Amino acid sequence: MPSQLEGAMDALIRVFHNYSGSEGDKFKLNKGELKQLLHSELTDFLTSQKDPMLVEKIMNDLDSNKDNEVDFNEFVVLVAALTVACNDFFQEMQKKK
Amino acid sequence: MPSDLEKAMESLIMVFHRYACREGNSNTLSRRELRELMENELSNFLKSQKDPGIVDKIMKDLDTNRDGEVSFEEFVSLVVGLSIACEQCYQVHLKKTGAQK
Repeated sequence: MPSQLEGAMDALIRVFHNYSGSEGDKFKLNKGELKQLLHSELTDFLTSQKDPMLVEKIMNDLDSNKDNEVDFNEFVVLVAALTVACNDFFQEMQKKK
Repeated sequence: MPSDLEKAMESLIMVFHRYACREGNSNTLSRRELRELMENELSNFLKSQKDPGIVDKIMKDLDTNRDGEVSFEEFVSLVVGLSIACEQCYQVHLKKTGAQK
């Protein structure tokens, strides 16, 4: 029986592969696959940013080796940054209570 | 309704805080809290390492600002490292079984 933390890490890998396996290199997200992932899995984040070019910018930021694909190592950096931002917000809310 | 990815991110925050609030600063993990977190949440990983000093080594690696505590940001780097390692194993498994979509 996996722990909650193991379940979360497992989910990161599964979500990535659900989208990366659609076309081309099965282990990387091309721009189209990244866009689908962001729209389906992080809809609230995308709408809160109100920037139509956001997916392009994220792709640019994540694709550190500039091969026009985002591998899991590059993707997990985005997840880490968003989670840290959410935690900061959570901690602020806790302080206000 | 949160997505799978949002739920996973929420779990990381919840797990961290479940242990961080046990003593001292409730937004950071002391060495003891980190040990408890790892023993409960990453017991398979700890067993596979077979190194009794592993928690202390991990504490030292994570505590980049040397304040004796692990912040959420420092903790997340452990999760990132472990996830990347797991994903590598998963890729090897997929390639071996030819189970690509």
